[in-house]
Amino acid sequence: MLNARIRKAFAPTDEADSRPNEEVPSPVGDEASARGDHKVSARDDDRRPARKDGRASGRFVLDVDFNVPPGVTILFGASGAGKTQTLKAIAGLVRPDEGFIAVDGQALFDSSRGVNTPVNRRRVGYVFQNLALFPHMTALENVEFAVGNLPRRERRARARALLERFKVGHTARRRPRAVSGGEAQRVALARALAGEPRLLLLDEPLSALDEAIKLDIIADLKELNRRLRLPILYVTHSRDEALTLGERALVLERGRVVAEGEPHEVFGAPVKASVARLTGVENIFEGEVLSRSEDAGTMLVELHGGAEARGACRVEVPLGRAREGERVCVAVSSGDILLATEEPRGLSARNILAGRVARVEQRAEQTLIHVESGVTWAASVTRQSLREMKIETGKAVWLAFKTYSCRILDS
Amino acid sequence: MREIDLFPLWLSLQVAAVSTLFVVLSGVALAWLLARKNFFGREALDALVTLPLVLPPTVLGYYLLVLLGRNGPAGRLFEALTGGQLVFTLRGAVIAASVGALPLMLKTARAAIASVDAQFEDAARTLGKSEWQIFRRVTLPLASRGVLAGAMLAFARSLGDFGATLMVAGNIPGRTQTASIAIYDAVQAGRDSQALALVALLSLVAFALLYATNRLVSASLK
Repeated sequence: MLNARIRKAFAPTDEADSRPNEEVPSPVGDEASARGDHKVSARDDDRRPARKDGRASGRFVLDVDFNVPPGVTILFGASGAGKTQTLKAIAGLVRPDEGFIAVDGQALFDSSRGVNTPVNRRRVGYVFQNLALFPHMTALENVEFAVGNLPRRERRARARALLERFKVGHTARRRPRAVSGGEAQRVALARALAGEPRLLLLDEPLSALDEAIKLDIIADLKELNRRLRLPILYVTHSRDEALTLGERALVLERGRVVAEGEPHEVFGAPVKASVARLTGVENIFEGEVLSRSEDAGTMLVELHGGAEARGACRVEVPLGRAREGERVCVAVSSGDILLATEEPRGLSARNILAGRVARVEQRAEQTLIHVESGVTWAASVTRQSLREMKIETGKAVWLAFKTYSCRILDS
Repeated sequence: MREIDLFPLWLSLQVAAVSTLFVVLSGVALAWLLARKNFFGREALDALVTLPLVLPPTVLGYYLLVLLGRNGPAGRLFEALTGGQLVFTLRGAVIAASVGALPLMLKTARAAIASVDAQFEDAARTLGKSEWQIFRRVTLPLASRGVLAGAMLAFARSLGDFGATLMVAGNIPGRTQTASIAIYDAVQAGRDSQALALVALLSLVAFALLYATNRLVSASLK
């Protein structure tokens, strides 16, 4: 079990990685992000005097508090959310301003008692985003280097066994430059485990790999996890990886944990627009409340498709706090939308929209159909449905989804 | 034709070899310190060690004479410890050559160490390695071409030192008369063939070293 409470303020000139940066396109507009920024600086301001040049908002404050039980915990967030800095603080490569970090009850860092275990005595396995395999050593030497104090022969045998376990025994005599991306990844994992760590930190370990190799390694990681039951903190911004690997998930945003729980909870019921955006809820629209029905517990919202879309579309959503004429944000997951090639009848779903297929987008394990119906919706179908329903661009289709598949977001 | 005396060249090679050994050890340690540690006076230290590169050899020689002479602090300490002297000995020649060669070593090694991605060192730290192990197994091997190039430059520089060596070690044939000093001596005395032989050999060794260094450095840039 890892316990981590970390607080650290980064100057604007610190590593680019620590700076908030909008990489994920924001369908909700900049309002939310501007507010988020303000929150961070406001909190910072009540501890330190505001800077005269008013550039306090350029600062980045990491302020997190979480536990990682044995098993895979996903650390999820956009780049710049502070994921890597969190890992570095746990590994001891970055020193928090204040906080407490402990593994299995043993403090590695405790600002209140002046405890700060050096990196090399923390026994924390860390796979860097770019792996950092030593280029002047062979794969075997890389792993051997990490095996603890043992006679040379045993060290070598141990390293060889680890490479075999990760199915890269054949790369033993090659330098990192001469192995493929997937193989390098496995060598790096073997190396990180060679020192028998008490905790494993993986920084986007699969981001550079193609899908087939990724799934293969994920299967191996799962197997590893079953056997070792180490606390594993796994940084990713891929929703698929989060859902397939994670037993728990933490969502990080601008240096804060904004959601935590089981991955399907965290990703299934996003409450914040930013979380929804990050977790891949494809349909997020702004709209205006037309009418409220207290009896039915619903309200009617007219959605607008954003700046470039001229159309609009009416949907029934669960009753929220917004009054008539107020603006709200509505999110619908692409998996909650049914697609029909004929007008559906006798359906309990209250939202049935007619439209045309604008685009068919193939993704790794699903196909997204973009349907123009005032606004552009995305619905996911399997490849089989795509074939059987003969869906193609321009075809007339109907969308159906339940009132309660619509979520009102507090952006 | 009189016989050509190659002993000064042999002496020069000895001085250069010992001086290079000192310069590599101290230069790499200093380079690591300057490239990896942030401390007060870092750039001042770098400038101080680099000074011999730009000072006239006579100025350097003067400083060394004051420092190493029988009444100088280093000279007195050495005499108290060993009973021997530093000035007008081969030891003095080694020190003069080392001080002149250190900046070349330092500059090259500092750049080489600074160019090693610090993430490799961080990775080694997470793998439980001590700073010394990291330096020896990760940083130094990755900077090895630069360090080797620096060592070759230092050797070439030590081989050809004239001014400071002359002031500190003097011109004692068969004892402290190194090749560059012997050349001056031979020219003054009109022993042209002696001068020419030493000049040719010294040039050849220096060229070979520079050529090898360039090959090394350009290969490491690829």
